[in-house]
Amino acid sequence: MEGLHIHGAAHAYGDNQVLSKISMVVPGGELVCLLGPSGCGKSTLLRLAAGLEVLQEGSIVIDDVTVATKELHVPPEQRRIGLMFQDYALFPHLNVIDNVSFGLLGMARAKARAIARERLDQVELAHLTEAFPHMLSGGMQQRVALARALAPEPKLLLLDEPFSGLDTNMRASIRQMTLNVLKQSGVATLMVTHDPEEAMFMADRIKILGRGGKILQSGDSHEIYYHPNNEFVARLFGFMNTIKGTVQNAMVQTPFGPVPANGFADGEPAQVLIRPEGIVLSSGGQDGGESSGGIPVEVNSTHLLGHFSVASLKIAADRNGAQEFYVRVHKEFLPELAGRITARIDPEQSFVFADDATVPGEPMLDDLNILSPELKTLLSTGLEPQDKVQKQAEAAE
Amino acid sequence: MSELSKSFEMECEILDRDHQELMQQIDKIAAVIDGNDDGRCAKLTPEMIKFAKQHFTREEALLIKVGYPDVKKHAAHHQNLDHKMETILELAAMADENSLAGEKLKSALKFFLADDIIDADLDFKSFVKDRDI
Repeated sequence: MEGLHIHGAAHAYGDNQVLSKISMVVPGGELVCLLGPSGCGKSTLLRLAAGLEVLQEGSIVIDDVTVATKELHVPPEQRRIGLMFQDYALFPHLNVIDNVSFGLLGMARAKARAIARERLDQVELAHLTEAFPHMLSGGMQQRVALARALAPEPKLLLLDEPFSGLDTNMRASIRQMTLNVLKQSGVATLMVTHDPEEAMFMADRIKILGRGGKILQSGDSHEIYYHPNNEFVARLFGFMNTIKGTVQNAMVQTPFGPVPANGFADGEPAQVLIRPEGIVLSSGGQDGGESSGGIPVEVNSTHLLGHFSVASLKIAADRNGAQEFYVRVHKEFLPELAGRITARIDPEQSFVFADDATVPGEPMLDDLNILSPELKTLLSTGLEPQDKVQKQAEAAE
Repeated sequence: MSELSKSFEMECEILDRDHQELMQQIDKIAAVIDGNDDGRCAKLTPEMIKFAKQHFTREEALLIKVGYPDVKKHAAHHQNLDHKMETILELAAMADENSLAGEKLKSALKFFLADDIIDADLDFKSFVKDRDI
């Protein structure tokens, strides 16, 4: 089979086990993203596939050729791989076409330059063959690096956080172009990222790695986002409203009404995680949506963030205001101009997990790059329990 | 795909034969999607899924017979594929009319076979091989 086949790969740095029996396949023409927080071993796996680390256990096969086992180590230059890193690693003293043709060693110069031109044409840089890297924007350098990685027609392309050096606007257009080029080339691609949105955009299949280097879930973006199989995976894709409770009559009680307990037994502690877009607000009509199962809420604040707003709210009947919820609403919905507002849970966006605190790896807010910096700041300050915030404020005074 | 790669061989005739059959059925569906075969995804895919489920049953029976200690874990892995199989069937129902569904189906089938089925089976390869089934 064309592509990459890793089976049972394990790796440790001293006593620190960074990968635990990882198995995966990247078929030809497909793109697999390794997604996980810093330190979960995803770059180590990429380096093992590249031959930059020596495999300690398991096997790695590229296009039916075994390139690594405990006893075998085929060097990187013999693996027919292309590599692209976050910092592009272009040679500053070579112009664009020489950078791209650099990997075509042993080929007649004229033929190598013709191939390099073709690749540059693919990434829409054929007009800049004589330019030097310092004359190019970050996005252009990234496209040169892609052309260089594809020039020798690798069997496997390995991308390590390839877009993280680009600004937000450029990143969107460059990754679309990169995806088009990769699909045209038909190369098997393994990409490492800690950005959930990037993984969802690029990947045919996402592998979620938790701390300790274990694959926690594997699936397409829809499956991973809408059917996370544990709390870690669910939280990796952004902020979650969390409601803790105990299962009674196969349901977990929430302020928005009971939620099916997902197979947990009565008496077990459970938690309901709800995405910000999973709390649906309604207004208008005589009861503001109450007749369709909504619970009256009071909106504390809203912040417009472009095509959506983030609102914080409390249950209207909960006069003590113990829990605040964060909701993402479409820009057309303006809670400040609405009358009576109700909220209900979208079952597709809410998940029930055991409340046993044995999460395979707790993602930090910094890992949640799907959120904008502004929203992260908002959430990181707004999510503290109110009594803690009050105590901090008192201490500061 | 067409033929099992060496790295995917279980060296157990029953299982390799099943995997090869699955691969051929998936190849045929891919050929339909690419316009190289005049069959219909909506007919071929449920047949493939039916065969995959039969394969899972055969495999679990074999593992019980040879006393594989992690048989429950592997059976749970098969159960966890239910959702993926449902998605594959949903895509197949649309794939003959919708090219996007066709491309998604082709990709899902490749991963289903290589990543979810064969690669997971390699965990018990040496155990089964030692029992000379």
